[in-house]
Parts: sequence; structure tokens; C-alpha cells
Amino acid sequence: MASIGEQIRAHLPYQRRSAASLALLVFAMVLTLSAFAEVGLARDGELPAGMFLYGGGLVVLAFAAFLVQSKFAPYADPLLLPLAVALNGLGLAMIYRLDLDTSFDKRKAVANAAITGKKLLEDEANAPTQLMWTFIGIALFVIALLIMRDTEKSDAPLSFTPKTAQRYTYLIGLGAVILLLLPIVPGIGAEINGARVWINVAGFSVQPGEFAKLLLVVFFAGYLVNKRQAMSLIGKKVGPFSLPRGRDLGPIVVIWIFCLGVLFMQKDLGTALLYFGLFVSMLYIATQRASWVMIGVGLLAVGVFVATLLPFMGHVNQRIDIWQNPKPYYDGGCLLESGKVETVKPGSETFIKYKQVLDQKVADYQKAGETEKARQTGQIAPGYYACDQLGGEYSDSAQLMNGLFALGQGGVLGTGLGQGEPWRTPLSFSDFIFDSMGEELGLTGLMVILLIYSLIVQRGMKTAVAARDPFLKLFAGGMSFVVALQVFVIVGGVTRLIPLTGLTTPFLSQGGSSLMANWIVIAILVRMSHDARKPAPQAIQDEGMTQIVSTR
Amino acid sequence: MNMDKPIRRVAIFGLLLLFGLMAQVNYVQGSQAEDLQSDSLNSRKYADVFKTPRGRIIADGQVLVDSPETHEDSPKYGRTYKNGPVWAPVTGYFNGSPTKVELAYNSMLTGKDKRITHQRWFDTFIGKKPDGANLELSLNTAAQQTAYQRLKAGTSRRAGAAVVDIKTGAVQVLASYPSFDPNEVAPQQKTKGGKRLAELDRAPGVIKPLIDNAMSQTFPPGSSFKTVTAAVAMEQLGLSSSSVVNTGQLILPESGKPLPNSHDTGNCGSQAPLRGAFAESCNSTFGELALKLGIEQLNQGATKFGFNRKVMVEPDVAAAESDVPVSVFDPRTQKDIPTGKDGTARSGIGQENVRATPLQMAMVASAVANKGKIMKPYLVQKARATDQSEIYNASPSMFSQAMKADTADQLADMMRAVVSEGTAKKLAGQHIAGKTGTAEQGAGNPNSRWFVGFSPIEKPRYAFAVVTEGVGDGASGAGPIAASIMAQVLKK
Repeated sequence: MASIGEQIRAHLPYQRRSAASLALLVFAMVLTLSAFAEVGLARDGELPAGMFLYGGGLVVLAFAAFLVQSKFAPYADPLLLPLAVALNGLGLAMIYRLDLDTSFDKRKAVANAAITGKKLLEDEANAPTQLMWTFIGIALFVIALLIMRDTEKSDAPLSFTPKTAQRYTYLIGLGAVILLLLPIVPGIGAEINGARVWINVAGFSVQPGEFAKLLLVVFFAGYLVNKRQAMSLIGKKVGPFSLPRGRDLGPIVVIWIFCLGVLFMQKDLGTALLYFGLFVSMLYIATQRASWVMIGVGLLAVGVFVATLLPFMGHVNQRIDIWQNPKPYYDGGCLLESGKVETVKPGSETFIKYKQVLDQKVADYQKAGETEKARQTGQIAPGYYACDQLGGEYSDSAQLMNGLFALGQGGVLGTGLGQGEPWRTPLSFSDFIFDSMGEELGLTGLMVILLIYSLIVQRGMKTAVAARDPFLKLFAGGMSFVVALQVFVIVGGVTRLIPLTGLTTPFLSQGGSSLMANWIVIAILVRMSHDARKPAPQAIQDEGMTQIVSTR
Repeated sequence: MNMDKPIRRVAIFGLLLLFGLMAQVNYVQGSQAEDLQSDSLNSRKYADVFKTPRGRIIADGQVLVDSPETHEDSPKYGRTYKNGPVWAPVTGYFNGSPTKVELAYNSMLTGKDKRITHQRWFDTFIGKKPDGANLELSLNTAAQQTAYQRLKAGTSRRAGAAVVDIKTGAVQVLASYPSFDPNEVAPQQKTKGGKRLAELDRAPGVIKPLIDNAMSQTFPPGSSFKTVTAAVAMEQLGLSSSSVVNTGQLILPESGKPLPNSHDTGNCGSQAPLRGAFAESCNSTFGELALKLGIEQLNQGATKFGFNRKVMVEPDVAAAESDVPVSVFDPRTQKDIPTGKDGTARSGIGQENVRATPLQMAMVASAVANKGKIMKPYLVQKARATDQSEIYNASPSMFSQAMKADTADQLADMMRAVVSEGTAKKLAGQHIAGKTGTAEQGAGNPNSRWFVGFSPIEKPRYAFAVVTEGVGDGASGAGPIAASIMAQVLKK
């Protein structure tokens, strides 16, 4: 039986689908521009001043990208670019909506403040920067397409195709590890919002992990293509599973230790889960052996279980506990060693009790004349102090709960863009942008967004199936899966399907690194789909129809 | 070796992950949305509150609270309170965030409640806001008015009164002085309202108008607490109302000082039946009983009456916790200091660290009058949607069986004796029976004067508790107020 890839190719008409892509792109544009218009009309009562800058900017960029795609990758999958543009546009509109600097009221307030000299609170959502990153992201898409313009002549100057990457498997693997370690290096590494996953480059904060993810996919693909025969064929059979040889187990153990390292050093369960899921899925694609998946999942389960038992990894337990039972943690909760949760939010019994203690201490210090000590003691948050005294781990579920409240507020049809209050959730423009969307676009809008993600994943997987080269198949398959897994981890987290861990929502979240990396992913998929779908090179001489001889 | 099959499987798995997300989003936004919207932690429910009218609050057919249009942009609707100070302990106030009944039935008043939205699901679906429901209070308007006037006239500092229907738990009166006018902090006052609220909140000393003295403030119950001590002692020590108990002097075991009686004549001379000791409120008897019981048993016995725990009156509205503490937290040493022997004896007569709200004491009296049963108190009888359909009707439920029916009957008889031959003889003929209480609140502070009981004397229907602060004792400081409130309640 012919492979599915060959079957698909046999049926593919090898058509250029540029017209379809253009039509869809126009639709994505209409969607984005209407989103901007609605934000302006609902929030400020006028078409937004930024509509032409933001919406128009995106239109110009997207059509530039489309022209490059139709010139250099004419057989590319027609859906990928419009889907990415639609997501990017929706995200930009939501960030514009959350960036109060752009609102009519805020501008009025700023004008007033200039007269009265009042100080205004800054909000962290930043639409202009996000537009700039969108510009850079789409520019990277164009540049990547140009660099990968010709798969046949891979030696052409400045040409680097996905296939070329296979030659540098180990260099790329090394690059991934270096990128991952950069944030820990003192001097360039930076900690933002409690996560040490950033570096400072020329005044910008960059998350190298977003790019490392891409390089890891390449590395895994290159490594597994070489080893897959050995890994899938040799091994001892125990029961229904055939166990791999010890030496083949090596890499999976290395990756396992590496992921646990991420888990312990960066206290980031989400990223660890992402890398591990990526590796196991690619391992499975390469070897087709379920036993690998079992071993991988088993090892991860053991790792996480051990982590929950270690005393200094209390936050893992806590994450899980908050996920199951977030209410006692609202505005401050304390997980005691006994597993009980003590509410220490302002106004709670424990809070009041320890506030009394602190107030007493302050009074005692002041009586003793130690004003400095009194001042310091006065600054201690009673909730935190109480938890410390009780010997528990302090945490706060207000963000998760507020996100859920946003979803609840949205209901089926949503409040409408610009008419909800998504800003009540901290980080409503990055980690929790999905909940912000849920509030203003409702269940309907979220289903559309999830369907767009599903389509991207499905189109990526289709590209993998259609690709002709095993390395490219693994590459495309791994990349598509990592998108699905990342969406699952972060969206599952903010909707309380799984414990919450911080990851970016592809194309929606505010942040340059994520946007750039995802646009590169789309560029690579577009390139690969072009290669997979373009007609096979014509034979120089037409030798006429092959004659089929019936044997019966 | 072909990779298409595993890719296809991984693709299916990836799509299953996304499908899982879709299912979860449907679950959260579809079926959980209303629960999330009305969650007590959700601050969003206070937004947009000025843009729609709230339902009315009605008692005895009188509209007490209404939402008239202001013909302004913000707030679009105000909130007016008729006889504000009289009803503030019940209705609470609304200035964006509600309190009391305004809080408890916020979702009904705003029309966001499931019972309303389910009837008008299509409106909900298209985002049209349904009208809020009207609430009918269980309270007696005339008696509430009387109670407020009498409390105001009868106290030098604070006063509170609570009356409950012993068979249903329906609260008839819940009055407090000093009170405040919710109109002053209503939305139509705009920033002035916020300032006034902060001013009320910052009120100096113990007088906090925002904290009502009927269910949200605790006072030392003094001798009125002997009802609880007697009930626990009769059950745990096997006493009856005719058992002879010591009424003479009691020397406290730790300090060696005597626990004084108000008088050392009559029943409080040396020995008397429990009934007589109760009627004349001999401190030494109940101090001794408390010592025999020990603080743990006294604490557990009181818990059955509603002490030491939150009493939920309505959803999200709890009475302040009345306490018979086994130990008290000291912020300086961060240790719990146990109530010692002397403290236990004083706890038995409602002093030391024993605190109670008038509502709690009314519940104690209702247990006495209702064969040991306490019904859960409630304030709202009914809620009707704008089309007059009934969407909520309070169903009486039992709060606890505080003591045996027999014990309760004997205690009721002892309470009658207080009026017929004991400390409250002057109240004879007023159709009330009860227990007096006069608690000292430390040097320089007025006494808290109590009268806790039931009415009518035979076949009681209502239980009450009145507390006022001032000079003198409970029989004269609270008894007559209770009598006139109950006269008004019984008229109905």
C-alpha cells in the first residue's frame, strides 16, 4: 500500500492556491479592522485614531507577506498565512483595547494631569510596541521565506532551507542549550514577574526560550532521523512492549534530566512539560513505538511525583492544590504542611490575628525607640507573615480566579470588544489574554480562536504527512505538535483544565520573542508545504504513458 | 519505514488536546458562567451596578427601598431608603457594593439570579438584562419603628434589639441605635456618599454606626447568659429546676476572692432550689455550676445554642460570632491564654470573655420557648419577579436542638418566675417572661443591660433580646423596652 503522503500527493492537483489565500487574507483583515473599530466605538465612542495606524499597518504588512509568499512559495498551503494574520490581528486589537494610553478618557486625563500635576498610573499593556513586534515578526516571515527560497539549489548564497539544517544537527542542539542557559548568566539574564527566562539585548527583553524551542525541534528531528532505525528495531521484548537497549535510552534520560533541571531551576512546570511532550511525541513519530511513550510519560510522572515530595518544591504541590481548589487562596492563601489551606486574605481570622501581632511589635519597637525596626516591621504584609509563622507556603489565586470570572462574565456571546472589564485580571494582555478574549468575545469567539489553532496544527501535520523527506516530516510534525501543546498548556491553565503555568499564547500574547518565533514557525511551515505540494520535476524527455500489462 | 501513521496519530492527539480545551471553555462559559458571575469573590458583579434599577425591598406592603431614575448619566438609578436609620440594620446600604439584605439577595435584586434568568433564558442569551426581583421582608414594620424609638430614648451609648418567631425563625425586629441613614451613602450622593461612608467607618470609640448592635456587635451578656449555664448544667449535671443548689458566697479557687451576689437575702442567702436561684439571679450558684462543668463543657453546651460559630442569617450575611472562649489569643506573646478557674466561674455568669449578640440571645430564648429547638433566623420572606411570580419563599429550617424538650420547659418556667417573683417583678402583667442581665464593661464604661425572653407568657410565639447600655440594671434598663416592643409585635 502506498503511504498516505503518496496518496495525498496523488490526489493533490498541484494547484497554486494564491487566490484562495488572498480571499482568506482579506477576510482576516476585515476581521481585524472590525475588531479595532468595535474597540474604538465601544470604548471611546468614535472610530479609534489608531485604527489606520494599527489596522492599516497590519494590512500593508500582511499583503507584503502575501506577495512574497505567492512569488517564492506559490504552492504553499493557502490557510497558514491568513490564520496567523487573523490571530495576530485579534491579539493586537485586544492589546490595543487593554492599552488605556490609547483611550479617549486616558488622553483627556493626561491633558488634565498636565494642568493639575497629578500622577497617573501606568498600564503595562503596550499596543505600539506590540505593533512594532508584529512588524518585525512579519518581516522575519518574509526574510525567512526569502532565505529558504530554493530547496533545489541549497548551496546558493544566503540560502538556508529546512533541509540544510539537518547538516548542523548537533550545532543547533548546542545552540538551543546555550539559549536556554542564557537567562541564568548574570549580567544579561533578567528576572521579570518572578520568572528568570529573560535576557536583555540592546534595551529589549527577549525570551530566548521561545527560539530555543524551535532549535530543539530541529535538533530532535536530526538526531532521531539518524537513530530511529536502531531505536525502533533493536530491543528486548517484555510482555507487549519491546524495551529499548540501554544505550538507546541515553538520550531520553538526558532530556528527562534536562527537563527536570528546568523544573527545578526555573520553577517552571509548563516549560518542562512542553519540552518533554515535544521530545516524546517526536520520538514516537520517529520510532512508532508506544513503549517509548510509556517510558517517557512514566519517567515524567516519577519526576513530578518526586518534586511534590521534596520540601523546597512546595510550590508544585501548591500549584496543584490551587488548581483543584482555588477559592481559599484568593487574595492570599497558605498551604500548610498538613495539606490544609489557611486563608490569609485581608479580613480573614488568621490575617487579623497576625496583624495584631505585627501591630503589637511595631508599637513595642516604637516604645523602645527603634523607629527603623518599627518601620520595617510595619511594612511586612500580615498575610505573608502569618504564612511564614505557620510554616506554610504563601500563594495567591486571585489572578486565576479573576480570569475565570472574566470567562464567566463573557458567557456565550461575550460583552463585546471594549465593553467588558478584562483589565481586572493581572497580565490580562499576556498570560491571561485568552480569558480577556473570552470576556469580550464570549464562548463563540473562543471557539473560533481554538478552531484557528486547530487548523494551524492540522495544516502543519498535513504538511508533515505530505513532505517527502523523513527529516522534514519529523521537523514539520514536531513543530505543529509543539504549537498544539503550548496552546494546551497555557489555555488549559487559564481555563482551569490543568494547573496554571506561565507560557505565552501563540500570536495573541503581548511580547516580541513569542511573536517572532511563531512567525518563523509559520514561515517554515509555508516553505515546507510549498515543497511538499509543488509538482514533481518534469522528466526531461516525455517517455509516454507507462503501459500496464494485465497478468490475468 | 514510514512515518505517516505515527504523524497521523500525533496529529489526532494534538487535536484531542485542543478539543479538550473547547470542551472546557464550553463548560466554563456555558454552564458555570452564572455561578462565576455571582461568586462572592467576584468584584465584577459590582460594576455596572448604577446602570440598571435594583429591585425593591418591601415590608408589610410598604416599599422601604426603591431605585428611582436620577435622569443623569451616572448613576442612572439612585437608591432611596424610607426611614433609613430604622431599617439600616436589616436592609444595609448600597453604594455600589451592597451590605446585609442588599448583599444577600444582590443577584435577585439585580436580576442576575438563575431563578430569574432561567425563566428568561432568551434574554440572557442575547444579553438583555432582566429586571430585578422585589424582596418582601419578614419583619414587622410597626414593631421595628417602636423598637428604634425606644432604644434611642433608653440608652446612653449603644442599644440593640432582636425578635424572632420561635416556630419559623422569621426575624420580626432587628433594631439598633445609633444607626445611620443609608440615603446619605446611596449612589445619588456620588462622591459625597463615599466621603460620608468613610466618615461613618472611621467613627471614633466603640460607637460604629455601620456595625449594627442587633446582630453584628457583641456585648457581654451578663446574667442573661445564666440561661445557657443553667441549660447546660441541667443536662450535664442532671439537675432539675427544683434541685437544691448553693446560693451563698462562692470563693474563687485561684484568687481566693469571693464572687459577689447583688444581694445576699432571700434565695441568694445560702441554699435554694435552682428555680429560685435563677429568678433572683444568684451569681455564686451559676459560678459554681460553671466550675463543676468546666469551661470545655460550658463552651460545647453554648455551641449548641449558636455560640462559637458563624450564624448565617441570609446568604453572605452572618451574625457576629458570639463566644464562650476556652482560650484567648494574646498578640504580644502569640500564645493562647486558657480561661482559668476564676475565668470559668465568671464565664458562667456571662462575664469574663463571654460575648453575645442580641440576635444570639434571642435564639437562646427561642430554644427555651420552643422545647429546645432553635430555628434558623431569616430576614427575607419572599422574592417576587416583576411579573409577580414567586421565585423564592423562605422555608423554615431547624438550626439546632439546643437542649431536651423537658429541660426547655423547666427553663421556661424559671423564666416566668423571674417576672412573677424574681429580679423583673416590675414587668409582671406585660405578657413577657425572661431573664435579666446586667454586665459590667470595665471601669468608666456603662453597664450593658439585658432582657432576654419570650412572649406571650403562656404558649409563647416570639423570643426576644434587648440590650441597652447605661447606668442601672437590666430589669429597668431593657425590660420596659422589651415590653413595649412585644406589645407592638403581639398586636399583629
